[in-house]
Amino acid sequence: MTHTLHRQGTVEDLREDYVLLLRTSRFVNHEGSEKTMQQIWEVISHYSEDLVNFGNHYPNWDGGELYNLENLQKAKSRIIHVVFKDRERIKACLKELKERDFGISTVVSGLCGETEKICAEIGIAPHTVNYSLGVHGRTEQLPKGETLEIHTMCGHAMVSYHLIDHMVKEINRGKMTCQAAAKKLSRMCDCGIFNTYRAEKLLDKMTTGCSG
Amino acid sequence: MLIDKEKCIGCDECHPYCPVGAIAAVEWEGRSVSEIDQPGCVECGCCYKRSDVCPVDAIYMPKLEWPRSIREYFSNPHVTHPSTTGHGRGTEEMKTNDVTGRFTRGFAGVAIEMGRPGVGTSMRDMQTVAMAIAKLGVEFEPNNPVAELMSDPKTGKFDERVLDERVLSAILELKIPLVRLKEVLAAVKEVSTKIETAFSLDLISRVDADGSTPVLTIAKEAGFTPRPNTKTNVGLGRPLFREA
Repeated sequence: MTHTLHRQGTVEDLREDYVLLLRTSRFVNHEGSEKTMQQIWEVISHYSEDLVNFGNHYPNWDGGELYNLENLQKAKSRIIHVVFKDRERIKACLKELKERDFGISTVVSGLCGETEKICAEIGIAPHTVNYSLGVHGRTEQLPKGETLEIHTMCGHAMVSYHLIDHMVKEINRGKMTCQAAAKKLSRMCDCGIFNTYRAEKLLDKMTTGCSG
Repeated sequence: MLIDKEKCIGCDECHPYCPVGAIAAVEWEGRSVSEIDQPGCVECGCCYKRSDVCPVDAIYMPKLEWPRSIREYFSNPHVTHPSTTGHGRGTEEMKTNDVTGRFTRGFAGVAIEMGRPGVGTSMRDMQTVAMAIAKLGVEFEPNNPVAELMSDPKTGKFDERVLDERVLSAILELKIPLVRLKEVLAAVKEVSTKIETAFSLDLISRVDADGSTPVLTIAKEAGFTPRPNTKTNVGLGRPLFREA
């Protein structure tokens, strides 16, 4: 899965979109990792005020509310996903994870240049990079602009283009706030990697300014 | 997915949840009800439990027989893929590369994420791309669930029975020596004009001691412009894989 890689948007938009992903390898270090993963959730709970979204490999059908950090510290997690909007806060979290030396593979998904700087600032040498070389083939089938940006925040494509358009109509009709619409879209993303903060801002741009 | 027309009240609330636009209103026994186009449906479950949108529980999942079941395995990230026992379309790829050593220095990883973002793909298009790449003599990742759908991985030919199946996305993954990267990317570019869908393209590389990667120059020479965002494995996994 490369579900956090191809997030579309301008560099300015992407400055508020970082995903931290930690996972065990079923071939190497999954056995006996349950407690370690719970300890990682405990570290993440130190940043609860900074988290935009989060989840593990179980469905996140309530847009992040189904899981609270206390429950996750007791759950069995093979994968941990956490979304930050602030570069300094993901840096602080990554620094603490490094210092605790849990031995679990850790991936930062976000602006390449900023990720490199974050790693340098906390003394980490990046190991492997996955580059996005864009979208090819029949690209005329894709929607443009903000709709595509919101859609690609769930790499499994669970947030339908039509649903985003539907939410825009509901907001314009005064039936829903941008915040509520962002939350409703987020529910579709199992993994908890949907950036509700950024989605709300994009919905505000797409509508006549009904943000609640 | 199917809709029980007896139960459906024709509210159309489920229509926008379908990523591939397969739900539409039809006339049935003198009233309007919703129907899911079966050739188009990718069995992702978005209209079902994930959204829980139907007010009368008219949407249901019938037991899917192979090869239709392939649609659900690839399209619904909550479903465990029988061949990998994991969720989703892919593998651990570079996410655990610090401990698995799957991509070592001198090699690049290429992933062609067919149907992404959000347009879906047929297995026929998957085969078209796979066969174009296979001509170069490269090997596909055997742990990717696509591998079991190929009748001949050496030629990229798929089992005839799966060619008309549609999924939201599936990934052709390969690892190649750096010296072959440019020709593989050229083949990807050429075949992109011969398919009915879109794909997202990934390029994986080990980071050198000076922080650079050897693949960027090659990608640019092949006519690709990397996007500004990446995924970076920061090397905190243990035990660290030791390269020879």
